[in-house]
Amino acid sequence: MSDFLRSYLTVFWFGLAALLLASLLLGIAVLVRPSRPNREKLLTYESGVDPVGDGWSQSQIRYYVFALLFVIFDVEAVFIFPWATQLERYGTFGLVEMGVFVGVLLLGLVYAWRKGVLRWV
Amino acid sequence: MLASILAQVPWQAPSIDYHAIAPEIVLAAGIVLIILVDLFVGESKKWVTASLTGFVLLGALIPVLTLAVSDPDARSLFDGRYVIDEYALTLKALFLIAGYVVVLLSQNHVEEGDYYQGEYYTLLLTSLTGMVMMASSRDLVSIFVALEFLSIPAYMLAAWRKRDRKSNEAGVKYYLLGVFASAVMLYGMSLLYGVTGSTLLSEIGRQITVDGDFGGVHALAIVFVVVGFAFKVSAVPFHTWAPDTYEGAPTPVTAFLSVASKAAGFVALVTILYVGVPQAKDVWQPFLWVLAALTMTVGNLLALRQSNIVRMLAYSSISQGGFILMPLAVAGTGDAAGPALQAVVVYLLVYAAMNLGMFAVVIAAARTTRSGEISSFGGLFSYAPGLGVLMTIFLASLAGIPPLGGWIAKFAAFRAVLEAGNGWAYGIAVIGAVNSVIAFGYYGNVMREVWMKPAPNGETRAVATPTSLVAALTITGAATLLLGVLPGTVLRFGDLADLVGAFGR
Repeated sequence: MSDFLRSYLTVFWFGLAALLLASLLLGIAVLVRPSRPNREKLLTYESGVDPVGDGWSQSQIRYYVFALLFVIFDVEAVFIFPWATQLERYGTFGLVEMGVFVGVLLLGLVYAWRKGVLRWV
Repeated sequence: MLASILAQVPWQAPSIDYHAIAPEIVLAAGIVLIILVDLFVGESKKWVTASLTGFVLLGALIPVLTLAVSDPDARSLFDGRYVIDEYALTLKALFLIAGYVVVLLSQNHVEEGDYYQGEYYTLLLTSLTGMVMMASSRDLVSIFVALEFLSIPAYMLAAWRKRDRKSNEAGVKYYLLGVFASAVMLYGMSLLYGVTGSTLLSEIGRQITVDGDFGGVHALAIVFVVVGFAFKVSAVPFHTWAPDTYEGAPTPVTAFLSVASKAAGFVALVTILYVGVPQAKDVWQPFLWVLAALTMTVGNLLALRQSNIVRMLAYSSISQGGFILMPLAVAGTGDAAGPALQAVVVYLLVYAAMNLGMFAVVIAAARTTRSGEISSFGGLFSYAPGLGVLMTIFLASLAGIPPLGGWIAKFAAFRAVLEAGNGWAYGIAVIGAVNSVIAFGYYGNVMREVWMKPAPNGETRAVATPTSLVAALTITGAATLLLGVLPGTVLRFGDLADLVGAFGR
């Protein structure tokens, strides 16, 4: 076996150990605990709120536009934060480049605004 | 922590030759302008976006021309990752003019169809920007970015008639097969990067040599990259998306896909073969040989059986793609490299003129006939003589009949193949010759409808052709005739054989 593959052996043993440990703990729990189910206990856990409706509930299609708009600014943040820490080094060139980048992204927001998707009807 | 990591990275502002990338800057500014104009003009004034797009494309052509006459001959940016040489400029001009003709074709179609005009032209310009970038890219990363740049708007344009099932089918098929091809290509590119340690094509060309350590992984990488582009240029057996997409997409978009998008695929393929892996010709020559032979033959045979004109043109464009691949299949042999490059560029130029012209005639005639069936063109000459004559010219040019552009393109392709002068070359030349004859079968069939059949339903009204379509027909018709009568104008580009950065040149 080559060294390359041997280093993956560690990953394999680690995964096996995790699997064994988890099944051991859960297995002991199953053996030890009493089993007295009732309706309340079998309810789906939904952060303390009573679950309403079934699992295949529909969500508003409008969220999709907001998700898209969020992605725009999420990506912007990914670029702006590292850039901001080094602004002095990047100088005027960096400033102009980021200005162009933010300007084009803003165009997306203007587009969304003019198309009326920012209003929650 | 981020700041300290970044502080260790050496950085200096790149020196940018703004003249060299002026076409791209004009296009990018044009995209922003058109989005803004579209947002702030009223519904009745939306047509200005079409005119603006035309002006932006012509505006981008100005720096291309000034670059062509300026010193130095070739400019190289970003350490040779982006090169503006004669090859790149010729193709940039091709994309911009083809884009202009597509805008002319689209104007009435999009306006009357009440499609989203501003968005349509924005996406068209975006896709063209990607193509213009592709012509200059000499690096795996910039090639891939340019490819996605040109493909993603094209997926949306194919599905533009959103309430039409066929158009949706066209968009989905194009998208799924397109991203699949991108994935295969990206895998090939990652292997190329893995074995050479560089994404710069000229560096890859230095690393992949016959004498060096050349193994299975190199071959796999090259084949995967070629397969990716084979999808883009719809070479058989990777052509299955083309007929359905061409039929379902709005006709001007089909014209755009079959000319500009296909040319962009060939440009990238040529760049990679000539600059990146010229020494691995034992891998790509036989592969391209089989692709070219299959593409010509299968495209032709299926075209013979089509009754819808757009589907027929789809298969015809597949088979024309085979003729463009033909010189590449022997490009690595002997002295064939130069003539093969010349043949591909000449073929792309001529093909763009005649195929766009063909689509212009179909769009103009379909305004009256309202049908895509070949039989609906019956008697076209009797009630629209101008369109009938033009259609004959374009069909004859596609078939390769002598005084027209298509002939000089085929001539250049065959000459390049014969330059290689070995058994493989003669083999593909024979297949190509047989296919040229077969192709006349379906082109001739349409001509027969136009000239000899009576008009269906006794249609005799003269066809009113809008000005923009007349302009498109004039440009493409003049180009097709001129390229055939004065082949020197286009064969001149044969001297561009120097692809800057190509290995051993």
